[in-house]
Amino acid sequence: MQSSLQAMFIRVKRKKTTYFLHCDPSETVLEIKQKLQSLSDNHVDDQRLVLVATQQVLEDHKTLADQKVENDAVVALTLKIPETGQWEDVSIEKPADYQSLLDSESC
Amino acid sequence: MRKEDTVKLISAEGFEFIIDRKAALVSNTLKNMLTSSGSFTETELGEVRFPEISTPILEKVCQYFYWSLQFASGKETEFHIEPEITLELMMAANYLHT
Repeated sequence: MQSSLQAMFIRVKRKKTTYFLHCDPSETVLEIKQKLQSLSDNHVDDQRLVLVATQQVLEDHKTLADQKVENDAVVALTLKIPETGQWEDVSIEKPADYQSLLDSESC
Repeated sequence: MRKEDTVKLISAEGFEFIIDRKAALVSNTLKNMLTSSGSFTETELGEVRFPEISTPILEKVCQYFYWSLQFASGKETEFHIEPEITLELMMAANYLHT
């Protein structure tokens, strides 16, 4: 049990937040959403997960392995907009001043 | 997984990383903060701010925690570090006793 828990991890990102989740390649996307529901209070049905590398929307009843979600993969979380029932766009913020920070420190 | 089993690390720019408590304990500094009896407010909130650690470095540190747990359970893979972040990452690692 212990070793299967450490089998892999994924990074689920939305805006300024990143969830690191332990998972197993045989887990379904629905199971991942259930974990996210307990952490973020967003209901399973209000979550959509997109594999960032391929922009592919992940399907609930397929496993991570089926959909080529690998160790350390980055997955975007988008939520259902309550008023319209539409999905929000993928939005992952990055710190804007990272490059300038690197430049200033290299002097 | 329950919320209580996770820890939120906050970077200099206010980005949040929610990681498994077990992963956070890889760092001795975090371990002391999270397990000491009541002397840190972090213990109760499960939330630690790092005003000195930038977002990409903190993310790399979290990736390291998870890699480290995998390595300890026998999955020996390489941990890739981009040369341009090496110095900053080492300073963060020194601070975190990782």
